[in-house]
Formats: sequence, structure tokens, C-alpha cells
Amino acid sequence: MISFSHRSRQWLSRSPLSLFSRLLTTITLLLCFTGSTTADTYDENLLLQPLSGQFLLASFNFQSLGPIQTFNKQLFELFPRSLGQILQYTHTRELHLRFALGRWDSELWGAQPGDGQNAGGTGVELWAWVEADDDAEAEARWTSLNNALSGLFCASLNFIDSTRTIRPVMSFSPTGDYPSTNSSRLFLLHGTLPKEPVCTENLTPFLKLLPCKGKSGISTLLDGHKLFDASFQSMSIDVRPICSPINGQCDIEIQQNIDMVLDISRSLQRKDSPVPRPRDQHELVCDTTKEYASNEYCYPLDNSFDLPWSLSDLFGRSIAGSCPFAVRHPPTPHVCIAAPKDRLVQPTEAATEAPSSPNGNRCYILQENQQFDVSLPKQEPPTIPLRKEPLLYAERSFTGHGQEHGGVKTVLRNPSAIDFIEVVYLESLPWFMKPYLHTLKAELLPPPRDPGDDHVISDLYYRPALDRKRGTQLEAKVIVPPNSVVILTYDFEKAVLRYTEYPPDANRGFDVASAIITVPPHRRRSDGKHVPATSIRTTSLLLSLPTPDFSMPYNVIIFTSTIMALAFGSIFNLLVRRFVAVDEVQRVDFKGKIAGLLGKLKKTKAE
Amino acid sequence: MALRVPVNLRKNLSVVLYGFQALSIGAVIVGIASLLLLPLDEYSRRTYISENALLPGQVHAYFGGSEQNIVRAFRREVDLLGNSTSDVVAERMAEIFRSAGLKVGKQKYEYKAAGGEYTGENVYAVLHAPRGDATEAIVLCAPWKNIDHLLNEGGVALTLALSRYFKRWSLWSKDIIFLISSDARAGPQAWVDAYHDLHGPNIQSLSVKSGAIQGVVVVDYPGAYHRFESLHILYDGINGQLPNLDLINTAVQISRDQMGLRTDLQEMWDHADTYRHRLKTMLRGMVNQALGHSTGPHSSFIPYHIDAITLATHGDGWHDEGSLGRTVESVFRSLNNLLEHFHQSFFFYLLMAPNRFVSIGTYLPSAMLIAVGLTLTAIRLWLDPRSRTKAEGGEAVEQPDEKPTSKATKEGGENKAVETVIDGGPKRELFLPLSVVIGAHFCGVIPFAVFNIIDYKSMSNVFYLFIATSFILPTVLSVFITLTASEHRLLPTFHLSRCFSLLFLGMFLSTLATVNFSLSFLIGIFSLPLMFARTTPTSVPLAFINTVLLQLTSPFAALFIVANYWGLGIEDVLKEASFGWWVWGMWTPVVVWSVWWPAWVVGRVSVDASFVMALTGKTSG
Repeated sequence: MISFSHRSRQWLSRSPLSLFSRLLTTITLLLCFTGSTTADTYDENLLLQPLSGQFLLASFNFQSLGPIQTFNKQLFELFPRSLGQILQYTHTRELHLRFALGRWDSELWGAQPGDGQNAGGTGVELWAWVEADDDAEAEARWTSLNNALSGLFCASLNFIDSTRTIRPVMSFSPTGDYPSTNSSRLFLLHGTLPKEPVCTENLTPFLKLLPCKGKSGISTLLDGHKLFDASFQSMSIDVRPICSPINGQCDIEIQQNIDMVLDISRSLQRKDSPVPRPRDQHELVCDTTKEYASNEYCYPLDNSFDLPWSLSDLFGRSIAGSCPFAVRHPPTPHVCIAAPKDRLVQPTEAATEAPSSPNGNRCYILQENQQFDVSLPKQEPPTIPLRKEPLLYAERSFTGHGQEHGGVKTVLRNPSAIDFIEVVYLESLPWFMKPYLHTLKAELLPPPRDPGDDHVISDLYYRPALDRKRGTQLEAKVIVPPNSVVILTYDFEKAVLRYTEYPPDANRGFDVASAIITVPPHRRRSDGKHVPATSIRTTSLLLSLPTPDFSMPYNVIIFTSTIMALAFGSIFNLLVRRFVAVDEVQRVDFKGKIAGLLGKLKKTKAE
Repeated sequence: MALRVPVNLRKNLSVVLYGFQALSIGAVIVGIASLLLLPLDEYSRRTYISENALLPGQVHAYFGGSEQNIVRAFRREVDLLGNSTSDVVAERMAEIFRSAGLKVGKQKYEYKAAGGEYTGENVYAVLHAPRGDATEAIVLCAPWKNIDHLLNEGGVALTLALSRYFKRWSLWSKDIIFLISSDARAGPQAWVDAYHDLHGPNIQSLSVKSGAIQGVVVVDYPGAYHRFESLHILYDGINGQLPNLDLINTAVQISRDQMGLRTDLQEMWDHADTYRHRLKTMLRGMVNQALGHSTGPHSSFIPYHIDAITLATHGDGWHDEGSLGRTVESVFRSLNNLLEHFHQSFFFYLLMAPNRFVSIGTYLPSAMLIAVGLTLTAIRLWLDPRSRTKAEGGEAVEQPDEKPTSKATKEGGENKAVETVIDGGPKRELFLPLSVVIGAHFCGVIPFAVFNIIDYKSMSNVFYLFIATSFILPTVLSVFITLTASEHRLLPTFHLSRCFSLLFLGMFLSTLATVNFSLSFLIGIFSLPLMFARTTPTSVPLAFINTVLLQLTSPFAALFIVANYWGLGIEDVLKEASFGWWVWGMWTPVVVWSVWWPAWVVGRVSVDASFVMALTGKTSG
């Protein structure tokens, strides 16, 4: 224990903290340790995986685990106090928060990391199991949870009101264990903000929750400029209780994940020049086999080699040693590279290579206070990156055009040759987008041989919208046969909003949250293997509603005001002015007045 | 003859009638005159950028240098494919796009119109915006063959090169779709229909899609290795809809101020900014708008509320693909800046120079006044006592120009009680005139259907047959009516049919003016003789003049004028109309055949009746 705090002091001495705060932290840490019987454990791991198309997936995972008793007593060790107190105050038992930007290109990159469990739809997505006596109390706690998290993460989470909250019935199930809680007291609430732009102000509080706060360990790579230049990035926080089936001991687990997909060529180029000017002629890779090939003609060649990259090239810095809390015995790997076997990987000398993992990843253990970098040199011919086929491809788009009606078309494609797949399709629509449920159709391609065999939707849950109170919730259990495509379509009507309900950029359109497609856990494949619980999110949509000419009321106001002013001015003028004929006007006799005044003066003098 | 209205009121009525006539003629004259005033500095305005987010020309455009080597290589590739079939072309283009790392989709389409088949294969690629979420997209389009069926070598090569160049930028906020359509007329329509899932059965769905399209720029740069002098900006959409003026202004401002490129509109190559040139530009724009046809691949996008323009190169000068590439780059940077859909600037305008326009508030009155002129004439005809059928017994309907005193003495012994009724008097018999007008409008379906169904080859024959039929039909109708109806009903019948026909035409044109100003205005101008062409059984020469006038301003005459204007055969114009209806959903034929033609037929019926009545001697009616 003492050695631990000593180590932490060592780590702290490198950061520019004042002596006082250093002492205070040490004391707090010591107090925490003496108060509990078992210490919190903390792990962090970075997985680097080259993807096809010269992309790189960097998957950061931070996980800490601590006994739930200390958590309930508000004795926080590694669990972030700010978040812990919010969870306790709002009686939130399980929390899932997602920030995402960009889109995951499953055609090119394959299945999402972690089977999509860590990813959210564009913007912010939040769902939680809140313990409460009844629905109203759950609702109130949910609201305070949103407001508190909004402050903590600098996000507009407080805008998740009743119109954006749904209670999914089939899509989500708790991932934590609740041996002592009555499940009827747990309420699941789910809210999305598809329009929220995720940016650095969300990253900073995210990093602050980590024990090493981005000062050491893999989190040193997380720089806002690089993270938000990624083609896809997703930050997630999951808090859940985990109980051991053996001794009934419960722990609280917090997992923080950041997945980002970097375009290697773009990142490298940004290093040279922020502006992608046309390359010099000698830098072009031209196809010289073309008969017209010359100095003036260049048919470009691509992907003839794997681009060379290193961590410092892509992230602008290398890893500043290990995070002291993540040093374990026996050592766990911190950085893993999931590259094809024939791809050369050159770490810095300071790194210790971990024993090869069963999945063939090359892993490294970070050393304290020693910079770590890894570089993958240029390789010709290019290697074929590892790719895991996704369970399902999903795509959603609007159909039709116009200001009154529209349609939504979702295409679900099952790439598997043998396995049926059952998914739950969840749509959370804003209230001003009113679907016609009778138009919900599922078309199966290729059409089934037996015409009666096209029962694609096996179960449906629908909660209609109430104007300005709640949105539509639509959940459908869909079975996609192998090698086929299911096309779900429905029509909707666009509501006309009140004048003040439009956002400032009304003509941009209104974002519709991504549909969530979940593969429920505990499914078996034809070969007997379990299908992991998977979730897939479609892209969000932009719904254009009829917008009024917003300047018109102001024009009207201006015109009426002008007329009012003119009318008032002239009427007021007429009322207060006295009209007299010219000859009635009394002549002002200046001479007489002056004479009178002089006379008065003379009188006073005489007196 | 019953004198139904007291003498002083009758006098007043004729004053009212003359007043209406004067008003309607005045409205028409003012309407035409106000249109001619528009090109003056006092009535038109300089264009300006209304949407502040666009910031046209505020960024440096870098396209050039070694990128031009790539353009040249792609030009050779396009050249090699010159006469290949569309599927070979599509596959090769898809290959090039794929090698640039873009998502590629292909789409086969097939349209049937006027006995011809229009097939092709579009190919397109989607560049995902880095950090983008597929909610918005902008389109760069190059037709393989441009509107004049020339191989669009430069345009396609530039699009291919730009697709690679744009991919290196990280600043895109919207997806960029690179579309190479098989042709300039049917291909883009098939693509944009399928993009919104509103396509017909012979058109493939799109396999790859992106978000809502915010803007489209089409590059038309045909010919091999030539340099160009100026950019021709085409902006007319289907059915006379126009893109937002901000888009045109952006393109004009970038070309002029940033690239030093002259821009032309409406094929006015030597625009000296004089009154004549401005008027000519405006009138050419109006003709294009009135015809409502496609002037380039951009036209098909506009009905979907997607703002689109075509940048076509023209002439022989010193600008090369680098200049055009930089222009497109800069326009795309501006489009990329858009936070909202184009909405700030005008959607209804007439351009008279690249930097001068009039907005709807200024020009709308001229078309409205013509429509009002027609409507006023209709009201006058209704108020006119000649619209009333006098009772059986050979009483003549009074004429306003008849001497009231002589009538009064003649009818002195008639029923005086009726005279006091101001609005009373003989009833208007509406059945026959209404059935003539409604029947004529229903007949409009026949030419519309016939010309949309028949084959291209038989089109001109059918058309001449139809002209002959149209020439005889009104005469036959008037003979039929004259022979069947009793003599005293004849004049009121023809009078009232004109009244209803003009009323309908006037109301329709005023409505149409708010949607397609030019079409309304031009039909209004052509319909002016209908205001004067009346039944004159007493004056056969006048009737003859009227017939000639009507014949000269008939829809057929207009068709011949249009054919002449383009230097095409009449069957080509009809083919275009049929193609327009089946492919683009162009409404112009509907307006011509079911609004204008019936009005013309009714006008001819009432004029022809003069001859028939004169011949049969039923002139007293």
C-alpha cells in the first residue's frame, strides 16, 4: 500500500501540481486505502487495428472496478467522485452514455469494435436504469440525472425532456447484476440528442474522470485536435454493478471507451501541411504502363503499399509512460496492435513485449516514465487488414419529397449464408414526424419461395406520439433470413410547428435520431456458437419541415409600427394643437413689453 | 322589343361596359409596357449575396499544378471510351472512383417516350464527409454526353480528378456525390428520382445513398484539349422553376472576381449591359422558363427543391481545366459553408445580366395585368345585355350601341313593370355556352393524350392532321350550334361561351403567373386576340380579319415559332414535349392543350359563327 502511494507521489511530482494539492491527494488516497479492505483495480488498454482503405482504428479502453460497499458509503477511490455522487443522488443503478461523431463504414471496416456495444448514434445518447417507486419518481430522477450530467460533460443533455425520452421494451436489457433489487423498481429510460456536436469540451471532462487524467498512460494520446479529425469517433461511459456468482460480492464497474478511426493518409498529410495542396509532380505515383504516360499525363495509382505511420505521426505525440494505477502484477498489456502477421511492427526500445495473445495481437507493456512509440513502416505489397464480417448491414434513408409527407426506408442485409438473424429495430421519432403505422411494410428480397412465408416482423411495440409531450417509439422484432435483404418502409406526415418552436436554423432541417438495431444476447448460431449481443446504429436523418418566412412577421411589425407611429403622431398633434385664425393671433408687442419692463425697473429704483 | 332597363341606367351600363373595355385594354398595355421597363436601372437591381454563410471567393482555391496532369490522363481515358456502350463506360468510371477509395453505385435506367427508348447507366461515387454523419450532401455532376450530345471529355475528367482531390481535404461538412450521368436529359432525372425513391419500374434503385442534397453543380466541358473563354451558367429548371439566386450569384462572383472568368447567361455571348442586351437576356430566359423544358442536367434536380446550376464552357480563350477546377472547388467550398438549405435569396426572379435581376414583386404585375385584362373582358361580357336571351317571340336582345330613344318608342307598349327591375330582365341561358366551354376543355385531353402516345415518326403527320381538324372543328361546331339552336339564342350563346372561356383563361393565367410567370405571360400575349374576336354576323370582313388573327396566334402557330426559334422540325418539338411529359413530368403540354387550346377553340367558334349566321341568314339573333 505504501509503495503504491509512493509511486503515485512519484507520478504526481512530474505534474505541475502545487505541493499542497499533492499532499492532499496523497492523504486522501491513504485514507481511502485504510478505509477499505480491497483496493479498486484499474486497467487501460489501447488497441490499434489497421482497417482497409488506409484507415486505423484506435480503441481506448479504461476500466476500473471497486467494491460497491465503499461506493455506497461515498468512499471513492478510483471511481470518479463527481460521477459517483450524481449516480447516488439520482438512484441510477446502471448508466450508459455515448458521444459519437461521424459514421462507422461497415462495408469497408467490417464489424464495429466491441460488437457495437460501445458505440452510440450521432450526437449524444444516454440510457440508464433508475431505481424508483413509481414512474413519476423515475421520471423526476431521470431529469435530475440529465441535468447533472449535462453540467458534468458540458453537453446539452438537459434538453433530453419527455419528448426525447423513450422506454424501450425489447431493445435493451440490463448488463449489470441486481441480486438484491426488485426488477420492478428499475426503470429503463433512454434519450438521444442527434444534433449535439461532440467536441473538445466533452473530451476534457471525459479525461478528467480517468485516474491519470490524460497526464500519463495511453490517455496522453487523446488530443482534441486529433480525436475530432477522425473519420469516426465515439466516446462511451458505462457504469454497472457486477456480482460474483460464487461469493455474492458485488463490485461497481466503470468502463470508458474511445473508439476512433483515423484516415492515415490525411493525418500524415496534415503533419506536413494543413492544406492539401497539389503534390509536386515527382511525388505523384503514376501508371507508367499507359501508352500516353509522360511528364504531362499521370494516371494515378493507389494503394500500392501500406502507408508508414507511427503513433507520434498520427497523434502528434507518443505515450508518456504508463499510468501508475494500471501497473499490475502479473503485468497486463497496455498497447496491442491487431495487424496482419506479415506487417512489420517496430516499437521503441523501452517497450516490453507481452507474451503473444491467443488472437495473434502484438501487445506491449508500458514502462513508467518512459516514452513509448510504435511505428509501422511502409510495406509493399500492401497487407490485407483483418476484417470481421458484421452480423448485419443497416442503412436508413428518407424517401419522397415535399413539405407534407415523407417516407422512411430501412434496408437490413444479412450477409451470412446460413444463419437467420433476429434483431430488434428501434426508432425514436420526434413528435412532429408522425408515422402511419398501417403503412409499415417489410419486404423480403429475394422474395420467399412460399408466398405465405414472409412473416418478417414477428413482434411489434408501438407507442404513438403526443403532440409536444412525447415522441413516437417503434420497436419491431425482425427476422432476416440468410443472404437476404429486408426493406422496412413506412410513411409519415410532417407536422407544422408553432412559430416559436423552430430552432434558429430552421431551414437546416430537424435531426432524427439514428435507429438502433440490437441483436439480443444468448442467441445461438447454426454451428452452436453464441452470437454476441450486438448493436448497430444507422446514420441520423435530416427532416425538413415546412418553414415560414421568419422575416415576414418582423416586416409586418415594422409596417404596423410605422403606421401606428404616423397615425398616433398626427392624431396627437391634432388633439393637442390649438387652431386659431391668423388674425386671432395676439401680436407680441416687443416694444411695449420692453417699455413696461423698463418702467417697472424705474419704479423699483424709485422705491 | 322589351326595354328592360330604364334609359338612364342603360346609359350608365354602357358607360360601365366601355369603362371595362378601356380598363382591360389599359391593363394589357400597362402589363406589356411594365415588362419592357424592367431592364432599366430603375426597375432592376444588382445581384447580391443574401446568405452570409456562403462567403464566395473568400478561400484560396488550390486545384492545379500536378492535378492537371491527372486531369489530362483522365481525359485520355474518357477519350478512349468515347464510343463504348454505357455499361462499359459505367464499369470503367466505377473502377476509377473505387481506386480513389469512394463508395460507388451504378444505376441502369430505361425510359420510353414518343416511340423511342432512352437507356443508359449512371455511375456515381459518394465521398463521405470526414466526421460527417450522412445527413447532407452536395453533388458534382458531369454528363457523359452533354445536352448537345457531345462527349463531355473535360467535364468527366475534371470530376474524376476532383473526386481524388476533394478526398484529401478534411474540411467537408457534407458528403460529396460525384455523378456521371449517361446523358444530360434522362440520366440525371432517373438518378434524382431514384435518390428520393420516386422512380418508375424500369429504373434501378440506388444502392448507395447519402443525406439530403443541398446543391448541385454540373460541369459541361466538351471537346478535346481546348481552352475556353467564358463560363455559360444555365439555371432553368423543369416547369420553369429556378434555383435559389444565391447559388447563381456565388458562381458568378467566384468566376468573375476570383478567377477572372467571364460568365454568360442565356447564350448572350456579347453582353454589353445595354438595354437591348438586358431585354434580350430576359426574354430568352422567359422563353426557356415558359417552355419548362430541361436546359441541362441541373434542370431535373430543381423540382426536388435542390438548387442546381450547370457551368458550361464556351468559346476559345486562355482558361483551361485548372481555372474550371478552381471555380468548382471554390463553389464547393462555399456550398460546404452552408448551414441551412438555400433559402435566403430569391426563388422567383428574372435575370437580365449576370449581375442584374428583377424579383417577383417587380415583374409579377405585368403577367397579372394581362390575366386581369382577360378577366375584365369576361366580366364585361357577362354584364353586357347581349348575354341575355330575350323571351320567345322574336324579341331582339338590345345592343348597347342602338339608339335608346328609337327602342323606347318601339317598345313603349310593353310591360313597364319589368323595366323597373334593375337586375332583372331576360335570363341568361347558361346551359349551351357552358357545355361548349366545358366540352372544349375536355377535348383538350385528346391532343394531349395523342401527342404523348404516338410514335415520333408519325408525329408530324398526326400534327398536320390535327391542325386540319382544329381548323375545321370550330367551324363544324358553330354550324352545328347555328343550325340546331333557335335564332334568338345564337348570339347570347356565343357571347356567353366567350365570356366563360375568357373568365377561365384569365383566372388560370393569374394563378399560373405565381408559379410560372413566363408561361402565363406568353400565353396571355398570344391570347390577346381572344379579347376582341367576337361574333359579327353583320360584318363578314371583320369576322375574316378575326379568323386570320386567331389563326396567327393559335397554339400551332406558337409551336411553329418555337420550332423555328430552335431551328428544329415540328416533330422534334412535339417529341421534346412528349419526352418532357414522360421523363421530366413537364406540365407545359397540359397547359397548352387543356387550357390554351380550348380557349382558342371557343374563340374560333364564336368568330366562325359570324360566317355561318351570315350564310344561313340567322343574323337577327
